Amino acid sequence: MTTHKTPYRWSARGFVAPGVILVAVLLYLPLLWTVYLSFTRYNGLGTPEWVGLDNYAAMFGDPDFLGSALNTLLWVVGTLIVPVGMGLAIALLTWNLAGGIWLRLPFLIPYALSGIGVGVIWSFILSSGGALDQALAAFGIADPPRWLLDAPLNTIVMIVAAAWQGVGVNALLFTIGLQSIPKEPLEAARIDGAGGARLFGSVLWPMLRPLTAVVVGLSIVASLKTFDIVWSMTKGGPGTVSETLALTMYKETFVNSDYGLGSAVAVFLTVVTLVASVIYLRQQLSPKNEI
Amino acid sequence: MSRIIRTTVLILLGILWLLPAYLLVINAAKDPTTFTTKQSWVPTDFHLFQNILDALTLSGLGSSVISTIVYSVVSPAIAVLVGAAAGFAIIALKLRHGFLWFVVIFGGTVFPLQMILLPLFDGYSRLGVYDTRVGMVIVYTAISIPFSAFVMRNFFTGVAHSVFEAAVLDGATTWRIFTRMYLPIASSALVAIFILQATFVWNDLLLGLTLSQSDDIRPIVTTLSGMQSTYGGAQMSTVLAAAVLVSLPTVVLFLCTQRFFAKGLALGQY
Repeated sequence: MTTHKTPYRWSARGFVAPGVILVAVLLYLPLLWTVYLSFTRYNGLGTPEWVGLDNYAAMFGDPDFLGSALNTLLWVVGTLIVPVGMGLAIALLTWNLAGGIWLRLPFLIPYALSGIGVGVIWSFILSSGGALDQALAAFGIADPPRWLLDAPLNTIVMIVAAAWQGVGVNALLFTIGLQSIPKEPLEAARIDGAGGARLFGSVLWPMLRPLTAVVVGLSIVASLKTFDIVWSMTKGGPGTVSETLALTMYKETFVNSDYGLGSAVAVFLTVVTLVASVIYLRQQLSPKNEI
Repeated sequence: MSRIIRTTVLILLGILWLLPAYLLVINAAKDPTTFTTKQSWVPTDFHLFQNILDALTLSGLGSSVISTIVYSVVSPAIAVLVGAAAGFAIIALKLRHGFLWFVVIFGGTVFPLQMILLPLFDGYSRLGVYDTRVGMVIVYTAISIPFSAFVMRNFFTGVAHSVFEAAVLDGATTWRIFTRMYLPIASSALVAIFILQATFVWNDLLLGLTLSQSDDIRPIVTTLSGMQSTYGGAQMSTVLAAAVLVSLPTVVLFLCTQRFFAKGLALGQY
């Protein structure tokens, strides 16, 4: 350390302190407490009783938990295919197109809605005899499926609702990526006769790769935490058939007052989220994938 | 693909995408006394403003609106300043182990909210801040700090250190340098973070659900969720009107500022 920095040592600590203290007290302290509670039996009264790995054993032995984990996996896969894939397609379709900004607008409007706003609209559309059923009846389908009552159909239609919301922002991210691609390699590829699929495969896709890593990573992390739309449309039901891990944690904790089990689910969800981000980023950004 | 085909495909898809919004608006505008779930596709009457007024008195939505405006203005404003101060300490004042402290602050956002809900609920109850405006403002502030520190640290990295040294030679204190020089230079970044975080707070459900219960404390989205369960059957058009009211501010804000929304998203998470 050089001496001229010394005069600001205390001042620097003072400037960084509010942020560190707020984050430590409101985020890290609760985080550690949740980890501790996951090894205890506790319902909010008295003191937590240490039970070792009992909550984790109970969790992995519970068919409802496994169903919830499976639904969460369905959310991760579903929101990768539809919103990310379709976002890329829309970005490519509007790229260099006159009026592209206006053509993208319909997809952007749903993005700023809250999850509950989306849930209210889609519950209305999918309700029995609701807007979708009326439209199907007009095409002669008199006996439509029970959208929100049967699993796994209810999870699938909720993924569609989430896709309706999420496509626009992915399209916007990919559009910004496409616009930042330098003109020279594109011109060179065009002169060489590359067009359509070849242009995409050999020039655009490699250059979009770092951005794709971000979009896919965002999508995975967000879908693992899926809560609002499900809370609004089915509350995880009927029973527990459309629960996601985030919902299971909430119900175990705040409905069943099983704090230990709820905390174990939270820890599991966090570990999965962190592992997914690390594996994904490492794979996408490793040097051998750089082009 | 030719331009005409591309444009046609996009227009058709766009119309499909707008259908749910169309259904929301026309049904939110229907008179609740004659409302029927059998004729969802046809607009019948224009009762939207009356329905919004009715919605404000249901489930205490009106008092929720005021609380939510407070939360989504005060918390992001504090978080922006706290984040900027951290960035200033790390970059301009060259805080010892600055990068480590930055990682500590930024690490606060990488785990799901589920990880902190129960201890916050428990702690808030014990300290008497459960179901209070102060409690909500504090938690929204803490949640918004990591992203704010992240952007501000990046921003200050781009400010030449000679600016700081020149000010020191003029005898300015660090506080003065921060408030009179660094904050004004960073005003565009501060506004961008503020808008992003205000939208996040406005749309929050989970913290509202966990840390509040009374009508005048609950944030607006949490109230809408409760309203949907309670009145979704009998007063559907009023609930839909409430959804329009809740959604309008963020949709307008987002459409006006979409570019830095997307940039912020791309930057903020990794």
